[in-house]
Order: sequence, then structure tokens, then C-alpha cells
Amino acid sequence: MDLAMSEAETLEKAPGGPPLGTGPGKPRSLWSDAWYQLRRNPIFLVSGLLILFLVVISLWPGLIATGNPLECHLAKAQEGSQPGHPFGYDSQGCDVYTRTVYGARASITVGVCATLGAALLGSLLGGLAGFFGGWWDALLSRVADIFFGIPVILGGLVLLSVVTSSTVWPVVGFIVLLGWPQISRIARGSVITAKQNDYVQAARALGAGNGRMLLRHVAPNAVAPVIVVATIALGTYIALEATLSFLGVGLRPPTVSWGIDIANAAQSIRNAPHMLLWPAGALSITVLAFIMLGDAVRDALDPKLR
Amino acid sequence: MGRYVIRRLLQMIPVFIGSTFLIFVMVYALGDPVAALFGDKAPDPATAARIRKELYLDQPLWKQYLHYMGQIFQGDFGTAFNGQKVTELLASAYPVTLRLTLVAVVIELVVGITLGVVSGLRRGRTVDTSVLVLTLVVISVPTFVSGYVLQFLFGVKWAVIRPTVSPEAPFSELLLPGTVLALVSLAYVTRLTRTSIAENVRADYLRTAVAKGLPRRRIITRHLLRNSLIPVITFIGTDIGALMGGAIVTEKIFNIHGVGYQIYQGILRNNAPTVVGFVTILVIVFLLANLLVDLLYAVLDPRIRYA
Amino acid sequence: MLLDVRDLHVEFRTRDGVAKAVNGVTYSVDAGETLAVLGESGSGKSVTAQAIMGILDIPPGRITGGEILFQGRDLLQLKEDERRKVRGAEMAMIFQDALSSLNPVLSVGDQLGEMFIVHRGMSRKDARAKAVELMDRVRIPAAKERVGQYPHQFSGGMRQRIMIAMALALEPALIIADEPTTALDVTVQAQVMDLLAELQQEYHMGLILITHDLGVVADVADRIAVMYAGRIVETAPVHDIYKAPAHPYTRGLLDSIPRLDQKGQELYAIKGLPPNLMAIPPGCAFHPRCPRAQDICRTDEPPLFRVEGPGEDGERRSACHFWRETLRDA
Repeated sequence: MDLAMSEAETLEKAPGGPPLGTGPGKPRSLWSDAWYQLRRNPIFLVSGLLILFLVVISLWPGLIATGNPLECHLAKAQEGSQPGHPFGYDSQGCDVYTRTVYGARASITVGVCATLGAALLGSLLGGLAGFFGGWWDALLSRVADIFFGIPVILGGLVLLSVVTSSTVWPVVGFIVLLGWPQISRIARGSVITAKQNDYVQAARALGAGNGRMLLRHVAPNAVAPVIVVATIALGTYIALEATLSFLGVGLRPPTVSWGIDIANAAQSIRNAPHMLLWPAGALSITVLAFIMLGDAVRDALDPKLR
Repeated sequence: MGRYVIRRLLQMIPVFIGSTFLIFVMVYALGDPVAALFGDKAPDPATAARIRKELYLDQPLWKQYLHYMGQIFQGDFGTAFNGQKVTELLASAYPVTLRLTLVAVVIELVVGITLGVVSGLRRGRTVDTSVLVLTLVVISVPTFVSGYVLQFLFGVKWAVIRPTVSPEAPFSELLLPGTVLALVSLAYVTRLTRTSIAENVRADYLRTAVAKGLPRRRIITRHLLRNSLIPVITFIGTDIGALMGGAIVTEKIFNIHGVGYQIYQGILRNNAPTVVGFVTILVIVFLLANLLVDLLYAVLDPRIRYA
Repeated sequence: MLLDVRDLHVEFRTRDGVAKAVNGVTYSVDAGETLAVLGESGSGKSVTAQAIMGILDIPPGRITGGEILFQGRDLLQLKEDERRKVRGAEMAMIFQDALSSLNPVLSVGDQLGEMFIVHRGMSRKDARAKAVELMDRVRIPAAKERVGQYPHQFSGGMRQRIMIAMALALEPALIIADEPTTALDVTVQAQVMDLLAELQQEYHMGLILITHDLGVVADVADRIAVMYAGRIVETAPVHDIYKAPAHPYTRGLLDSIPRLDQKGQELYAIKGLPPNLMAIPPGCAFHPRCPRAQDICRTDEPPLFRVEGPGEDGERRSACHFWRETLRDA
């Protein structure tokens, strides 16, 4: 047939019998198989190294930036690249390179904390709803629907506009508040699927208690989809934080944030485009790294798509 | 089918009440609209109390909400604190954002599906890999970055379009803002179409279509696309609400006086009736779009229709 | 001869190596004749059928040799467009799982009528009438009312009847049925098989029946071809094979059918596993599992010997060095 079925890597439909599809080595568990796949995936290696680098500089920005991000000289405002200041100066005369390096901390902190919070809350609520069903499940689904009904950025504008704190926590809290329903849906669905597996039914028939079933049989099988969605969400949460900061309701000065810097730079984009380029580039690459990582993890954990 | 629609409509009611109440609480509970009305001056207590009574603000929050919803269903969205009718603001802003969203959705449909089909049919080849890399990059660049960059390039550097949109916001001026608004969703549509096509290409019924001796063109359009596009249509439908809500960033960049712009101004000025009115309509649009998707889904997939 | 497959070779290229799915298959079918192709999964019986229909997934599949003569023409030499006109019109295929093989979002009337629209240039209305006629023909009750319904609204047996109707639509000269009853309830299997056999007689079509169910074969087939590791190991008129198999593998297959007169005895099973198609054993591919294997079986690949014996009523062949001994022991 001439339809382009160039599935050189898969052979599901080649009716060649059982010995065809078995890969090298002995059968592995989902997790060790996933890890084996990941190690051989260049996308995982590139994004993993990038993320490692970002985490390190957000913990110790002084390693590669010796300046002070809050030390600015108005006289040098909007000047271009100079020795020792490769990215030039922004409108307040702050060093763009130093601020770009220091901006990683806010993005990574918000991304990681919000993802952890949303993933924990979402999988706890969704997992229990999926496992026990009944009125609790119905209630939770409706509540999740309500949160889905609220446009994210508008919700952020309304809720965060009254906040005066300059820490990252209000933003983290807000993202968790609007992010958990997505995770809870995934967790609920995969718990229901796992619960229906024959061996889980068998364990139930043999008299295993609820707690034991949930921890030993259901949770390990339901956690993979949550990890995949959470990893991809991490990237989008970082973009969301930057968007909120850009709109003036996310992080506030003196916190150094790419979103704030981009908003400031955008006002003078005609005169000094370099001010926009660096924080915007750093932000995009960070989001890209997490989304690529999520893609790689999904490919590894979902053998069906391979 | 009729019962299905009625059930879906009934399910929308609690979600509508929940979402609007939440927004209502956020807006009214968090800021003091009367204080905002007076700006920096301290209000005269008697006047403040009178205004509070007029605006129903002295009542418990749930009563305020009921009163407000009651008025909305009589077509009265209240008056902004500057004296302008909220309905007038709605009437001027919503058509603009609807046009912007329409441009974005058309771009998503045409470009996203085309790219997705091409790469799905050529999985693993160069076209596919390039499209995949491109979508990753597009997803990673936040809208406000791509918006400014494209505005700078097209509007300032090459000066092929006006960098900002005039108040009438005709379709021709909304092309670039619409593209900016569509970009991230466009990438998702492309990837979703690609996955869906690649899955269905391997389906048994497609092998049957080949065995029937159908021409390739007919196999693709009638059998492959029809099945593969069902999840894509669903995504685009739910995305309409998200686009309208997210248009705020695009509208700010291109100075479009649409829904996002009005809500943004409303929040900055703590103008509660404007914000709640706009968001309520937005929630309704979002819910209706979801309903439409469900119905479309039932039309496209008979397995749902007769379930 | 209606269909003559000669020395067909098919490979699949995978990440882990080349799988030789079909290695020199030769068989033929006459008009009005039923050839049953038997074998375990992975024996190459379905791949051969897909190669004949021209619906192999290429890549990863590849036809590396042989010819497929259909009504005198070598199908492998035809251009894709000419080949397409043969598919569905002159030869048709019935698949195992009708639910997944029918398009879930098109009504059965649309899917049946499509054959007439594409191959015969009929109008939609005429095609619809033809679809109803076909559904009547395969005895689907209330065809007129049900023609607009979708596959999931039919029972398994009815769906398989629709598959049969679709294959019969243009009265092809050859039908290939790939395990047409395997997915059905036992009670429905016989009905569907009878219908197929009856229609085949009526239209005087050639039928290739791919199956691993020996019970089905005995009732409907004229000849049997047994496949193992992508080769034909025995081919014979159906009665001869049941009377006395001339290949140890066929023998094993027959012995593994449960029988009422041997109640209580342990069921026979061929020892070992089907071979890995990426590393087919040298010599006779069956030798690691064969109770009769000698040194020659490990080194020399047996050709298809002509089997002669008392009471043979047709051409009979076996790819076993010891076919005489096997035949005698039976």
C-alpha cells in the first residue's frame, strides 16, 4: 500500500508472530525500562543538562555573574554591549547580563514549587476521588469544572492585584489554586484505569484492604501519567509566572524576574531591542527545556506511543 | 440527542454559579470599591454609606451576588463607577475580541491542521521533524514575547503594518494580533493532529479502506481525516474560551480595546461592576463553547450520539 | 488457474533486524475452490494474503521475490493505480475483527455503497439501494431500516456479515478470508461460515480461508496448505490430510485437537515455540520441535516432495525428508 506508513521503528502490525518485537536484554519493569529509554534519548540529555545548569545558577547565581542585579547607573541607561557587560544596560542602567542570570531563580522557584504543590494537591484529591468514587468524586469533579471555567490570566489579575507582597509565594499559591484541577483529572482517570486492572480486582477479591490496595497496587500504576503532565506543566507555569509579572500582578520589584524585565524592555523596544532579547531568550529556553523534558519523559513512560 | 443537550445544559448551571460566584467574591471581597471611587481623598462617611446602600454593598456577600445575578438576567449589568453603563462597554468591547478570536481560530484550523496532517502522514521524515521542532519552539516562547517581537519586526522594522490597532479594529488590522494570539494553540493543534493521524493510519478500518480499492485521496479525506480530526475539533472548541480570556496580553501589546483591555482597566481602577460583568459574559461564552464542542462531538462520532 | 502464487518472499525490516516472514510460498486456487491455509500465528499465512491483496505495510514490509499470477497477470508488475482497481473489485478480503475493521464514524450503508460509487461510478442513491440489497443477501434482518446505522450498533455476527457483504459487493473472482470467525461467539461461528461457503458456491468464487481452526477447515475446504515459518510444509486435498498427514507438523496440529473418544487423556501439544523469524533454524525450520528429526533435517532444507500413495485423489506435497515414514505411521 502506498500510504506513507513509514513506521520503521514500530512493528505492531507486522504479523510476524511473538518473537518479533522483543528488544535486546531481559524484560524490564516500566520504570527501569523508562530510565533505559531516557538515557539513550538525546532530547532528554540536552534538556536535562540545561535544567541542571538552570537549577545550579538559580541556587548560586554568583558562580557566573559577579555583579549586583540591583546596582544600577541611570547614566548608562539603554547602552549596548561593553567589556564586562556583554548584554548592555537596561532603561534603569542595570546590567542586563547580571539581571538575566539572577532572573533564573524566580522562574525556577515558582515553577518547581507550583508544580510540586499542584501535583501533590491534585493527585491526592483526584486519586482519592477516583479510588473511592461516589459523592466525593462527583463533588470534586464539579469543583474542578468551576476552576476550569475561570480564565487563568484574568483570575490572576483579579486575585493578585490586591497582593502587596514581593515574595514568590502569592504567585505560587495562585498557580497551585488554578493548576490542581488539571492534575486531579489525570490522576482520577489513571486511578480508575489502574483500579480496573485484573490483578487489582484479584487483590480485592482476596481481601486486600483499601489502604494496602491504594498504596501497593493502584498508586504505582497511576503515578506515571501524573509525572508526565506535571513535567510539561512546569514549563507552562514558568511562562504563566512571567506573563503575570509582565502584566504587573506577578512578582514585584525588587525581585528580579524575566517577566518584569521584559515588560520594562518592551516599552523601549524601538530604541534598544537588546534589552528585550536576553531575558526573553532566557525565558523561552527555560520553558523549552522543561517541555522537552516532559516530552522525553512521556515517550519513555508511555510505551504505546513509541 | 435532545435529552443529551438538556442534560449538558443542566450540568452547566452549577459550574456557571460556582465560577461567577468565585469571581464575584474575589472582586468584591478583596478590594473596597467605594474607597476606590474616591481615589486618594478620604470619603465622607455619610456619602460612603449612601453609596454602599445604593450599590447594595451593605448586604452580606451572597445577597449581593443574588441581587447582581437577578439584575443581569434582566439585562442590567449595572453602571461603572465613572457613570458609563456596563452594557455599553460590553457592546463596544466584545465584538472586537470576538473578531480577534475568530481570526485566531481560523489560523489555528487552517495552518495547524494542515501542518499536523502533513507531518502525521510523513512520520519520521524531515518534514515531520522540522514541524515538531518548530512547534516546540513556538510553545516555549510566551505570547507576550512573540507579540512584541512580531510587532517590532512587522510594525517598526519592516513597517508593513500599523504597529497598533485602531479603535474600530477591522479584520485587516487584526491579522497579526490574531496570529500572535493563535501561536501557542496553533502548535498544540499541530501536534494533536499529527498524533491523531499517526494513530489512525495504523487502524484496522484504514487497512479495510485500502483493501476496498479506494483511491488514496478518498482514503485520506473520507476515512482518515474524518476520524483523526474529532479530538482536534474538541480541542479548538474548548480553546475558544481560553483564547478570549487570554486575549488580554495580545490586546495590551497591540492596544486593542477589547474585553481584556476593559477588564485590565477595570482591575487597575478597582471598578467592580465592569470586571464582574465582563467576566460573567466570558464564563457564559466559555460554557457555551464547551457545550457546542460536546454537540459537535456527538455529531462527528456516532458512538457518542447513540451511547 | 485463478490465482497462482509462486515462490513468494516477504521481509520486514525492523530496528532489531530483518524478519523473514514469507520464504518461498507457492500455492494456487481455482475458481469455485476453497483453499484453507493453516498455521500458527507468525507462520506467514496472513502476510502472504496481504501481499496478494497488495495491502502490506511498505515499509517496513518488502516483497523480495516471486510472482503473484491472478487471472494470468502478475500483480506485482502492475502499477499501483491498476492494482487498486483489482482490489475490492476482482479480489476482496474479509478481516478477523469486524468492529475495528469497519470505519466507526460512517454508516454501514455508506461503507457498502462506497464500493459501487468508487468502482462502478454509481450515484449515491443507487449505491444506497445496492447496499440494502447486499445486506438482504447476507440475511441481515430489516436491512432497509438498518442501512443508516453504524457498526457499533450491530452484534458481532451481524458485523461480520457486513464485512462479507462488503467483500461480495462487486462479485469478485477471489475472496481472502483472514480468520473470519475467530472473533465471534462459537454459536455464531457456524452460521457465518455456512453463509460464506454458500455464497462462494453461488458466485463460483475462489476462496482462501486463513485459519488455525482445524474444525472449520474439515467442513468447507477442498484443499489445505499448512504453513510453518513462512513456508508451505504440506499441501493436500482435505480428506487425505485428515486421513494421514505427510508432515510431522501437520500431524502435531491434528493430534492437538481435543477429541471426545480420548476423554480423560492428556491433550497433545507440539513441544517448543514457533521460531524467531529473524533467526530461522537452518535445514528444516521445524527440526528443533520435530520428534522425527535426524541429522539431515538440521543441514538440508527439504524441498516440497510429491507425495504418492494408495487412494490419493489429487496432487499432494510434503516438505519433509521422512514423509514416507510419517505417512506410514499415521
